[in-house]
Amino acid sequence: MKITMTEIMERALTGKICREREFDMTLYKRANELVKEYGISYDPKTPIPKDPGLANSVFKAGFQLFCELGAYCTSTNRIISFSEDEVKEALKYAPAEVWFGEETDRKALTPRKPEDKRPPWCFLGAAGAPVSSEQILSSLVEGYAKIPQINSVTTPALTRVRGVRIRPGTPLEILGTMETVRIAREAMRRAGRPGLPIMNAVATATADSSLIAVLNREYGLRSSDGVLVGILAELKTNFGQLNKVFCTKSFGCRVVGELGPAYGGYAGGAEGTAIVTVAEHLMGLMIYQADCYLSFPIHAIHTASSFREVLWVKSVSAQAISMNTNLLTLYLSYIAAGPATEMALYEIAAVISTDVVSGANIEAVGVAKAKYEDRFTPMEPKFSADVAYAATRLSLQDVNELVKNLLSKYEDKLKNPPLGKKFQELCDIETGRISNEYIELVKKVKRELADLGLEML
Amino acid sequence: MNGENLYVKLKNAILEFDVEASQRVAEEIVRSGADPLMAIKEGISEAAKIVGEKFESGEIFLTQLMLAGEAMKSALSVLLKALPSGTKVAKGKVVIGTVQGDIHEIGKNIVAALLSANGFDVYDLGVDVPSLKFIEEAERVKADVIAMSALMTSTIGVQKDVIDALKSLGLRDKYIVVVGGGATTAEWAENIGADGWAETAPEAVNVISRLIEKRGRRT
Repeated sequence: MKITMTEIMERALTGKICREREFDMTLYKRANELVKEYGISYDPKTPIPKDPGLANSVFKAGFQLFCELGAYCTSTNRIISFSEDEVKEALKYAPAEVWFGEETDRKALTPRKPEDKRPPWCFLGAAGAPVSSEQILSSLVEGYAKIPQINSVTTPALTRVRGVRIRPGTPLEILGTMETVRIAREAMRRAGRPGLPIMNAVATATADSSLIAVLNREYGLRSSDGVLVGILAELKTNFGQLNKVFCTKSFGCRVVGELGPAYGGYAGGAEGTAIVTVAEHLMGLMIYQADCYLSFPIHAIHTASSFREVLWVKSVSAQAISMNTNLLTLYLSYIAAGPATEMALYEIAAVISTDVVSGANIEAVGVAKAKYEDRFTPMEPKFSADVAYAATRLSLQDVNELVKNLLSKYEDKLKNPPLGKKFQELCDIETGRISNEYIELVKKVKRELADLGLEML
Repeated sequence: MNGENLYVKLKNAILEFDVEASQRVAEEIVRSGADPLMAIKEGISEAAKIVGEKFESGEIFLTQLMLAGEAMKSALSVLLKALPSGTKVAKGKVVIGTVQGDIHEIGKNIVAALLSANGFDVYDLGVDVPSLKFIEEAERVKADVIAMSALMTSTIGVQKDVIDALKSLGLRDKYIVVVGGGATTAEWAENIGADGWAETAPEAVNVISRLIEKRGRRT
């Protein structure tokens, strides 16, 4: 039987009491014991391994970790736990397709497998990067909606409303969220894609109160959009996140379980992080009753996804999930370099081809770590979609060779990446037209990538 | 066992992340009459340096870093009691937390663990910390530094609120204020009047060390 939110709350209120630090330490210890028990080993020479045995072991270890540990509720300092049978049944009946969007833009998100020839779902845009003005937000979203491969939009985050900087959990955040949705819808309509779903729901709304306030078709989200609800690092949640889940479900909207396991964090190295990535998918299934998942393994210190170790985590965890379940998973990446740099395009080629060949759908893309205001354009998600479609023609071995080549071009610059240029320097705000200089740079890199086996031309 | 051997033993216990052994060796050092200040320099500080290097190079991870910090604290608590009163050992007192409305902890925890491992007294307020709590805690413990983390673009504004509150209360010059976290930049830190900013946790330790060295400790 389906476990209801009332039962989740009962477990959160009556589960085993535990200090948070003890939970963190147990997670690290147990994850690393399981790494040894299952013989899981990271090989830096093969960042994108083709090894079904390895992927299956990562899945089994992640499953065991979640069943043994459960998840930690920071609001009650208790553990929410599930039996193996409960997790197995939930996996068996997890939705194998979920529909998003409206009218001509309505489409089903479906699971993929490693080396799947079908193109991935392309969830495109800014990945919540900050934008300084409503005009730039509007121009950006119109640009995203014009990308032919787009299936859903990830909006930028407004940092100010009417000139006042937004504060979390305040009317400013609610207003900023409403404004983001209104501007994004108008921009998508101008591009002829009024039914495209917004799936980052929306980056401006971080507090539960702000998100719940905009679950309103008149001035906010539609039930055909998606709502991201984050898992706290690692394997944790709180009442604020559960409030979001309950209201989103009651509104009839799809919950996208969001997980960002940190390489070098509580899970330890690459092997432990891969196992925790699987376990957090299961947590999303059991506690958030997620319809689909957004996973972004990330470097704990340098906050990018394009590091060699993180690429391995992405690949083996996506293979583990897609080979062993029907869970609808999208992988998101943050790259270190900024727009209009060769390095950014190399990083995008590496992260997107890794996700696609490993059996994931994609969200693209956090540029310059998605932290600098206006330092992104519609070109990077467009380039990501081109890479994604091209990567469906490659095998895991092909992508492994490609990624090794790309790493040799950018790996030494990851800790001090070029930040590139701002939207205002690369695009005409009125027309959204991208500069010739940037278009030529992309053409040049596409020619280089074609020589490496990734044919986009 | 002579003093030098005991200092090496202490260093090794910390590098093995063994909290209980670190405390036991510290007690042995005090009992043997060896110099506790030298034990701190040769044992704890040396271990801290190695731990920091190993973390940066990816040889060890957050949990080991936290355990090393605990091991150092347990040894230090024993050795400090054996020092003449008034001897300054800690490099400075840092009140740290993730700002109100933001529940991200890993980056802040790495900075806190690295600071502890490098000999700072760290007062970690956790996540979602109300703005005035930073100031109240800094006043209570006579801190040198207030360090604030914010990961979200919608929460970095709270860093400015804390600095504005310090100004309103006439306390701004009393504290070194540093900011960091995923959504922050050097430009942001300058705009809100912070004294320092760091992109990564290891850099944060360097920035805080430099700022304290420049201004001197409060207590």
